[in-house]
Amino acid sequence: MRSPRAGISPSLVAAALALSCVAPAFAQSPSDVRIDLQSGQAKRIRVHCESLRPTGDRDAAKGSAQADEVLANDLDASAVFTTSRSWVAGSSAADVQAFVGGEWNVSGKSVRLVGEVLDAPARRSILKKEYRGTASDWRSLVHAFADDVVLQFSGEAGVASTKLAFVVQSGRSKELYVMDADGYAPHPLTADRSIALSPSWSPDGSLILFTSYRGGTGPQVFVMSAGGGRVFAISTRAGNNTSASYSPDGREIACTLSLDGNPEIYLLDARGGGPRRLTNQRAIDTSPSWSPTGREIAFTSDRGGAPQVYVMDREGGNVRRLTYQVSYTDSPVWSPKGDRIAFVARTGSGFDIWVCKADGTDAHPVVTGFSNENPHWSPDGRHLVYAGNRDGPWSLYVTDLDDRPPRKIDTGGLQALSPAWSPRMAAPGFMGANSNR
Amino acid sequence: MRNRSLVVLTSLLLLALGLGVTSCARKAKQTPPTQTTAPTPAPTPPPVPAPPPTPEPTTPAPAAFTASDLQPAFFALDSYVLDDAARGALDSDAKMLRDHADLKVVIEGHCDERGTDEYNQALGEKRAQAARDYLVNAGIQTARLSIISYGKERPFDPGHDEAAWSKNRRAHFTAK
Repeated sequence: MRSPRAGISPSLVAAALALSCVAPAFAQSPSDVRIDLQSGQAKRIRVHCESLRPTGDRDAAKGSAQADEVLANDLDASAVFTTSRSWVAGSSAADVQAFVGGEWNVSGKSVRLVGEVLDAPARRSILKKEYRGTASDWRSLVHAFADDVVLQFSGEAGVASTKLAFVVQSGRSKELYVMDADGYAPHPLTADRSIALSPSWSPDGSLILFTSYRGGTGPQVFVMSAGGGRVFAISTRAGNNTSASYSPDGREIACTLSLDGNPEIYLLDARGGGPRRLTNQRAIDTSPSWSPTGREIAFTSDRGGAPQVYVMDREGGNVRRLTYQVSYTDSPVWSPKGDRIAFVARTGSGFDIWVCKADGTDAHPVVTGFSNENPHWSPDGRHLVYAGNRDGPWSLYVTDLDDRPPRKIDTGGLQALSPAWSPRMAAPGFMGANSNR
Repeated sequence: MRNRSLVVLTSLLLLALGLGVTSCARKAKQTPPTQTTAPTPAPTPPPVPAPPPTPEPTTPAPAAFTASDLQPAFFALDSYVLDDAARGALDSDAKMLRDHADLKVVIEGHCDERGTDEYNQALGEKRAQAARDYLVNAGIQTARLSIISYGKERPFDPGHDEAAWSKNRRAHFTAK
């Protein structure tokens, strides 16, 4: 975190330190483990959201009230804060550790947000930052401020500005969709009435790899811009082409191919050429997930009977089973910090989501009941998004890995599956430069 | 069996009308008859009503036969091993494929909903491969058989119980 400044209340510093310094120092493979903020173990910081002051155009107040809600929801969803809201009747600012507010200025099609954080109870400014943008893009200003507030308190920016790629089932077809991380504006990227599966973002957030049956001969790997447009083939080899993901440096793609007659894990170059086979078993090997350093790959194999998660190095050697605690595991996803792996464990008719350390120890369920599939980490490692059916139709949910129940992402009734959380995008150009007094 | 006697009756009726009926009696073994009312060209000599006719190699393939008349092979949970029932179905399919040498088919591999989508894509492929390999061993040319895995994306039965799941764990045939 940033060095504490004079004037910050001791309780605030203590809270921020408590949150940012709970760093598990286990290290079985030092190169692959970075310091992680242990979600679920630090207490949330109580902040009081105060209405942004509307200034400028006469109708600025309408927009500012919407911005208030988006900001407070972002802070609540960050897993770092728990919020009270000044515009909610009966809300109390008692015992809060900070106030969040500022100014919402509208001038024609331009919007300026001056976001400010004050310590409590003294109300001294500890963060003040300006964000400019267009009226149509006002939500991104709010998300950028929310991410900076999270940064101020936890040492790492939040993920309110990120996006989710996912798949929407409609009848017999599945189309690829993208929306904001808070569920705003879900929109389709494909409309080919085929079956799209397994979206995966490029490390810079510009591209989405996915599996599709659009070619007509089976599952194949394609790529397209996260903004939509043309679809390009990456791997259309004979047999299955599935489960593709970019390496952390974006230079390679791990995927499952059966061009040699059996589902095996391969590395391709970023354009889909030069396949190099990593596994060599008569069993099924699939669902590769890179460690954040790109040195190791977790994957699923039924080489021991039932499907289980294994880990190998990027050349295919040093294969080891991840955990022996559960009889059936699948869908491994390596946390962006490298210290943990999430996976699913079969319960009979469905799946629970589990998390363990990267060495397989400390395996425990984090989401149970009904079925919960395709977990995927947020880029800060504080959340998992997944597809669940606890409310009937398949929907996307986020767990903050603490004592709060998972929250459902409202996609307006779409049957949503296979979520993939985007990386943090490059900073948008609108951001004001002045910061912190 | 009611269907069976119905078929026999219908066949006799059609024969009495002087219409050629080709392989209905064979088909009746696996599926309820879908009665074709359109008269098919009468082969010479007219077929004997004796069940089941073994077509001579020189006889042209009956036009009504399609890939969907082949029997699916069903699988146990998480398995791509052919059990006795699956081998029995494929033995019958191999015979049909030998009898209809011009037929090329796609073997679709499918799974129930209880695996993950990616694992099921692999599992479905293994099931389709198992069926293909069995047929190749039974003398069917590989070139006539292509495979595709749909994982859990195309269930026969959309239900969420074993009755549905057991129908969905399958390798079945469609026309190429």
